[in-house]
Amino acid sequence: MKLDVNALGTFYRMAREGAGLAAGRLTHMTDVETRAGVTKLNFMRGREIRRDFEDSTAKVGVRVELTGAIDGYSVIVFERENALRIVETLLEESATDADATNDDGELEEFDEMTKSAATEVGNIMNNGFIDGWADVLETVIDVSTPEFIEGHSAETFFDDVEEAPAGDDLALLFQSQIETIETQVGFSHYLFPERESMASLLEQLRASDGIEYDKLDGFDRMAERGAEEVAKTATTLTGIDTSVEIRRLNFVSLETIPEQVPDERLVGVAFEFDGLPSGYLLFLFDEESANEIIDAMVPMEVDEDGFGQMGQSAIKELGNIMASGFLDGWANVLDTTIDHSTPEFIHDIGAAAVDPVVIQLGEEQEFAFVFDTVIVADGQEFDCEIYAIPDESDLERALNDLDVDRIEQAPTTAEFQNVTDS
Amino acid sequence: MKTYGTEPGAPTPVQVGISELTVSDGDDTLKSYGLGSCVAIALYDPETEIGGLAHTMLPDGDAAENSDRKPGKYADTAIRALLRRMVERGASYTSVEAKLAGGSDMFDFDSFGDGVGQRNIAAAKAELEKLGVPLVAADLGGDRGRTVEFTPGTGTLMVKSSNEDGTQEVTEL
Repeated sequence: MKLDVNALGTFYRMAREGAGLAAGRLTHMTDVETRAGVTKLNFMRGREIRRDFEDSTAKVGVRVELTGAIDGYSVIVFERENALRIVETLLEESATDADATNDDGELEEFDEMTKSAATEVGNIMNNGFIDGWADVLETVIDVSTPEFIEGHSAETFFDDVEEAPAGDDLALLFQSQIETIETQVGFSHYLFPERESMASLLEQLRASDGIEYDKLDGFDRMAERGAEEVAKTATTLTGIDTSVEIRRLNFVSLETIPEQVPDERLVGVAFEFDGLPSGYLLFLFDEESANEIIDAMVPMEVDEDGFGQMGQSAIKELGNIMASGFLDGWANVLDTTIDHSTPEFIHDIGAAAVDPVVIQLGEEQEFAFVFDTVIVADGQEFDCEIYAIPDESDLERALNDLDVDRIEQAPTTAEFQNVTDS
Repeated sequence: MKTYGTEPGAPTPVQVGISELTVSDGDDTLKSYGLGSCVAIALYDPETEIGGLAHTMLPDGDAAENSDRKPGKYADTAIRALLRRMVERGASYTSVEAKLAGGSDMFDFDSFGDGVGQRNIAAAKAELEKLGVPLVAADLGGDRGRTVEFTPGTGTLMVKSSNEDGTQEVTEL
């Protein structure tokens, strides 16, 4: 099975189109203003998908089986509370009796009626996505009757789905968010395509030789090594105990990247890097974290307003060493050399820090692989978001040159291995 | 990001995401967050109070394959699409005026050449000139990010940027 940017781009359009249709239908149904939020294609290991679910919030889902142009499963997952809120809105509309509501008129439990209302909502959303894909692919996808699922862990949702990836398997996952403008009801959508059906779709959509799917393992290993190196160097330099919280490989349209960044003033360090691959690397901290880091790195009391010269140079120094660690991690896996520029300091609205990079890459490419990483510290403010955005053609070349057998030999640390693998 | 089911006259500003463009009229406000090297293009017809905002990221749409699908992504195609949609709604081409904001260059990377922001500014100005649309006000360049809010009815473009010491600067164009 091989994939290329053209095929992934089509997949991306499918997900985006589907999210738009689903949002439109949700609006139609509930009279609540909605919009399609960020759409991503993720490459995730099975255990990471499961870890996503282990945030102890109760969830409900509506699952359908697909046959036709895509075989597999499509699952809409709401946080339980959000699902109840949507159902509440729906039932208000139809002015039903309020058996399931408490004194405040709020729903607490799913009874038969609310369950069927939730299933209906989920099903209409699922169908929105699927119609969107069918439109893009100009084909027909058949959908089974919907199944309502309620639970706390991934097992309830995915364990009887044969297509759901095992702990070590890398799956291509479609993730979309739909937000209601005022009430902030989001949900996630997951598609688990059957491998063979996916392979034949990719075959149809591919416009170039592309990359062997198995080489994506190299991607994942790059992301893993890069993130670990950063956490390690950050700890060494600041004395703050840090660890990797999120590490994800996304395939997105370039303009999505600034939209993901928090809409607040951030402190960042940016680099361009050159080699195989070349691209851009950004470390973004919220202001509080940046201040903690400066306190940790600059031993004396600094009398500066905002981020003065002393603070800036501390942040730049940290960024510089983290960048070296990150890119060395990549270079090790890819067996290449990657050099990086001197650090550029920025203190501005998040999106404004990212758009110059997106614009520069946008001259040549429409989509990008983004290595999203979040580093956090226990009991202390140290939130660092890392965006590594390589030049697409360089990355394809680097991956093609990669010897898959070698990946297995590249040593890794235990960071991600002790995560519950169910 | 597309918004579905937006009611006309709704008090919340309509968000114009990167690569998008929106045409509206009256007291509606159109908002774009966190422009770095992107350029916000605001066009309006003072007589009919019809106007639009585009959040463009690249200079040259004529050279790109997907500019039909995403006219708002490129300065040149965005200006033409805004004009067309405004005229369709009843604006008169000859009275349309333009305001621009954005196009900062925050990073001094070798690969950026003359600066990605500068290229966008030049493209937007050139297209306006080609189409004979007067540029009546602009807040361009520099190295700070901007958030803009545009009201087609009055033609007011509010530009907010933050200074290094954390204070906010608001410019009304």
